[in-house]
Order: sequence, then C-alpha cells, then structure tokens
Amino acid sequence: MSVLARSVGNAFRNKIRTAAVVAVLAVAIGLALAMLVANQAVGAKVQELNASVGTTLTVNPAGGQGFEGGGEPLTTAEAETAASVANVTSVVGTKALRLQTATAGTTDSATGTTQQGPGGGFGPGGQQATVTTNLTAAVDAGTLGNRNGSAGTTGTTGTQPVRALPITATGIGAEVDSTGKALDITSGTGLGDYTAAEAKTLVGTSLAEKNSLTVGSTFTIQDKTFTVAGIFDAGTTFGNNAVYVTLPEAQTLAETPDELSSMIVTVNSMENVDSTKTAVQDALGTDKADVTQGQRNLETAVSSLDSVKNISMVAFIAALATAGIIILLIMVMLVRERRREIGVLKAIGARNRTIGLQFVLESLVLVALGSVVGAVIASLASGGIASALISSNSTTTAATTTQRGGGLAGAMPNGAVPGGGLPGGGLPGGQGGPFGGASQLLTSVTASVSPGVLAAGIAAVFAVAIIGALVPALLTARIRPIEVLRGE
Amino acid sequence: MIVVKDLVRQFKSGDRTIKPVNGVSFELEKGSLASIVGKSGSGKSTLLSLLGALDKPTSGDVVVDGVSLAGLPDGKLTEYRRRDIGFVFQQFNLIPNLSAVDNVMLPMEFAGVRKAARLQRAKELLEQVQLDPEKHSRRTNRLSGGEQQRVAIARALANEPKLILADEPTGNLDEQTGEHIIELLSSLSRDHNTTILVVTHDRSLAKKTERCFRLQQGRLTEEVRTESRR
Repeated sequence: MSVLARSVGNAFRNKIRTAAVVAVLAVAIGLALAMLVANQAVGAKVQELNASVGTTLTVNPAGGQGFEGGGEPLTTAEAETAASVANVTSVVGTKALRLQTATAGTTDSATGTTQQGPGGGFGPGGQQATVTTNLTAAVDAGTLGNRNGSAGTTGTTGTQPVRALPITATGIGAEVDSTGKALDITSGTGLGDYTAAEAKTLVGTSLAEKNSLTVGSTFTIQDKTFTVAGIFDAGTTFGNNAVYVTLPEAQTLAETPDELSSMIVTVNSMENVDSTKTAVQDALGTDKADVTQGQRNLETAVSSLDSVKNISMVAFIAALATAGIIILLIMVMLVRERRREIGVLKAIGARNRTIGLQFVLESLVLVALGSVVGAVIASLASGGIASALISSNSTTTAATTTQRGGGLAGAMPNGAVPGGGLPGGGLPGGQGGPFGGASQLLTSVTASVSPGVLAAGIAAVFAVAIIGALVPALLTARIRPIEVLRGE
Repeated sequence: MIVVKDLVRQFKSGDRTIKPVNGVSFELEKGSLASIVGKSGSGKSTLLSLLGALDKPTSGDVVVDGVSLAGLPDGKLTEYRRRDIGFVFQQFNLIPNLSAVDNVMLPMEFAGVRKAARLQRAKELLEQVQLDPEKHSRRTNRLSGGEQQRVAIARALANEPKLILADEPTGNLDEQTGEHIIELLSSLSRDHNTTILVVTHDRSLAKKTERCFRLQQGRLTEEVRTESRR
C-alpha cells in the first residue's frame, strides 16, 4: 500500500466526520469559486467597457450637444485639426438631423401649436436640422414628461395636440454609430463609401418594422428617394428608431455642407486618452469645442463594477483563507488524535517526510472532495451571488443616476424646451438621461463558470490547502517515536 | 552482538531528578533470547526505548554490531530502527484501518522494498506466525488479541532485524495465547538467529528465556540460571 493509498484510506476512516469536513470545506470552496467567477465576469465586463469606449473621445460644439445647447457648429476643417493631433488614429464626423413625419407637422399646424422652438426648426445655435420624411417614428410619444398632457389635464380647455416623435438621422463618416461604436448590421450591407453623398441608408430594426422596410426598400427624405442598404440593431428601442446616411449626404440634406454636429476621435491607446483629450481640446479651443471621454455613464458604471470586483476578490481571498484554516484545524486535530500512530510509524522506521507527506495527501483528498462539491455549489450559486453583489452595489449608483437622470428628463419634456423640441431620451443613454445606462451596464454582467476560472480557483484552493496542511505535517516531525510507549 | 555500556536516562520531575535507568550495562549474543523483569515503573520500558533508539540516553551507549548509537543523528537512528530493530508492543500498535498484510508490509515500504516483493514476504511471515490465510486481508481491528500480536510479530520480522524488542508481548493475552506467542518468539530466535529481548513482569514468561535480567531502581542484575531453555 503506497503513501497515497494510505492517505486516501485514512481520509475515510471516520466517514461521518469526513462527510462533515467535506461539507464545511465545500461551502468555503464553493463560495471562493463563486467569488472568483463573479470577479472574472466583472473584470471581463470592465475590460469590455474600457475597450469599447475607453479610447474614444467625443467632440461637440462648445455649449452644445446633440440636439440641445448652443454655440457654433463644428466644421470639417476642425476635424482635420483634430486628426493632426498626436496619438489620434481617426476622426469620424457626424451630422445629426431630425426627420419630421410630414403628417405630424400638418397635425400640429392644424391645432395651431408649434412643435419647434423659436429657432424655427433649429435649436439654439442650430446644431440640428429638421427635415421631412414619409417614415413614421417607431416610438410613440407616450406620456413621458406629460408631453401629451395626459396627466394633470383636469381643468384645461381645448384639445392638446397628439405629438409624433421625430426620427433621428445621422450622417456618419464611417460605419459607426454616434458614439463611435461599430454598427451591428443584421441584414443587408453598409453604406460603402461614407465620404460620398449617396442616396443609401441604414435603418434601425424597429423603424424598418414600423414602416415595413426591408433591404432594397425606398423612402423619402426631403422628397428625395433613399434606398435601404442595410438594417442595423442598436440594442435599444430609441437607438433603433434611427436612420444613418453618409456624412456628405446628411450635410447636403441639412444644406450645411461644411458643418458637423460632433466628432468621434479615436486615440491609439488607453494610456494616451487623457493627454490626447487635453491636446485635442487645446487644438480646437475651449470656446469652439467640448471634448468628453466616452459615454458619461461609463465612469459611474465602471466604478461600481470595480467595487464589485474588489469585493469579490476580497471575498474570494477570505473564503480561500477560511478553507485553509479549516484544513489547518482539521489536520492539527488529526495529528493530535494520531500521535501514537505517528509514533508507531516512526518506531518501525518511517521518515518524517513520509509521515508529513501522508498527512498532506490526506488533507488534499478532503480538499479534492470539497472542491468537487464546491464546484457544483459555485456553478449553481455564482450567477446569483454575482447578481446579488452587483445589485446591492448598484443600489447606490442607481439611486444617484436615477436622481440625476430624472432631473434631466423632467427638465426636458418634449417640446417644452424653447427651440429644443427635445425628444424624450434624446441624449445618449436613453431613458433617464445620460446616466441611466449605468444600471443597464451593471446588470448586463453574466457570471458563467468557465473551466479555466474553475481550474484556477481549484488550483488556488489546493495551494492554500497544502500550506494549511504543511503546518500539522511539520508538527508530526516534532512527535518523538517514544510516544508509542506512552500508556503501555 | 549488542553491548550496552553504563546506560543512564534521567528525567526532571519538579525539583527531583528521576533515573529510571541508572548505569545499566550488559551484552547479548546474536540469536539469544533474553528477558528483563521488574515491577511496574522500574524502568523496563525506558530501557527498551533506549535500546530501540526511540529515546536518547542521558549518558552511556548502545553498540549494535560495532556501531555506536550515541551521537547518531535522527535520520540515522530512524534508519537503525527501520533496518536493525523490530518492535513488538503490549498494545500491538497495529494501524487499525489497514489489513494484516498491509501492516506487515509497512516497514518494508519504508525500507524501499518493491511492492511485489514485500507482498510476498508479508504473506510468508503471516504464514510463519500461523495467522489463518483468510485473515491476511482482514483489518487488524477485526482480529483477536492473539492474532493481532502475531501480526505485530510478523511486522517486527519484516526487515529481518538484528534485534527484536518485545514490550510485555503477552500482557494483553490470555495464558494459553501468551504461551503460543512465547513459543513463537523462541522459535523465531532459533530459526532466524535473531536476538530477542523481552521486557515483562511475568516471571513464568521470563523463565522460558535463556537469560533473565532484573531491573530494580534503575539498576540491572542478571539472574543465574541452572538449566538451559533450549
């Protein structure tokens, strides 16, 4: 019988105790593995978020963003200036348009109200142009912000107009959305040459469905016929109520051939983002452009995810240490219990290292059993634990973001802002304003037990178990063989 | 040949110094069967532990075939126990969750004997001590006292030691089984030319050995025999 076989046999000497030890170890190991899985999942998400928007800068006209604000529009010359800044790998210009359904304008005219601000279809500063289309928006106006007077109308007289939301159209200089993220084209193709004016469009899935558009279908913008080259999925209802055309085409439609609504500047590495942001800002001038880094909600989301990552790592280490301590205590108990047997083994010629190895292997047998059960526990519980960690941690974030987002949404009901005609969720991030996406980012973390993470976790558990078992194993060396004669 | 020279082992107990072994000297020829008798607490087991290198003497020396144990490092003492000594204990001290054959194989495993060779020798030894072959694979905690002591003797013989030290080998056995064990040790001494030293307080057992020593207050005296056992 080898040392290993003897160790395995010893591990099962007292089956009830072994079962109890394995159960306790399984809980500790399962918790450790679940925490590691959560940590890896959150880490991957943070990496993904950083990778997706981490090297992107957004340049807006100073004092303006999207369809709101004022200031002077950006120009293609400024895009060239930005492109010449060190570490900038690309600059993509965008031109935002609002497509107003022709019938909605008629309705509004009939009721004698204006849906447009004092700018006559242009916001303060004229960052956007409103053009007509024969498309119908895929998003109903609803009652958000009391835009249709559905709430608090008691006592009012007259009929409130039923508002139709405009459709966002964006001219783009490359196959990316207005935040710089690659477009997910689900059918058809892209627009080909994004630097040429061409009557081709990419249409969001919900807008295509609402207007029964497929690849090759046509519709009109400003009485000009456009062909659907592809259909994209932005992942949100608001994002899919949109149309993309080439940048020159959008500039032509807006009759502002040299103007840009925003620029998406890509930096060559994350390390250079901060310095490049400053350099671009300096190159364009603070009175001309506002330079921001990525999505504004990303910082909040990543910060929360980082907290979850740290908590899960601390919990992983704590659970590992617990498993190590359990092994240490169990093995110390076994060594004390078997002093006489250890004395016998020494009396008949066993070396200290042989006996020490036997105890280490015995502890590893217990850990192996605990790891098997723990892995099952982790695979069942890691998703729930990760969700619980994230939801508890995002409560504070969500409260903050809801407060902020709600404030913005409340301040910007559709058509309530003079000259704005601001659609709900008109800012990047959808409902709740720019910070509303943080919660979505947090809850979109998927914790799945991958073999690699499991193997790494179990390797760590075994390493800790060996350390935990070494102490009692070394204790066996201190037991003198004369112990065997005690009590004789 | 085993030579014990002025062996002393003393302990501190509070302010007192106890000397269970106090200047013991004797010699044992190879293949002899000897006994040490004495009352409980007379230092018999302490002397045995010194001879078997389970404990270190305060002074004096044990020389086995010309090799002095005094000053040997722990590793060498372990090697001495593994190679030259076989222990038989009153409480048998078998590993309870191992079978009889596994218990006998243990010293050979520690000595690096290959598995097939140690299995064969373990079975031979168990047959030699007349353990029923059906019980070779049985866990030792399921064997009777006499059977366990036979397994313990087989284990003591596993590495063909020069000296077998038996501490009250019949102390936990009935008279008839004790007789069988003594006969077994006696025949092993003859057949294997192994030196056997039995520690006992049983004078009837001691009478069956070739030489008998009395340990009293740490000092050893040899009783004179008028007839040979063999």
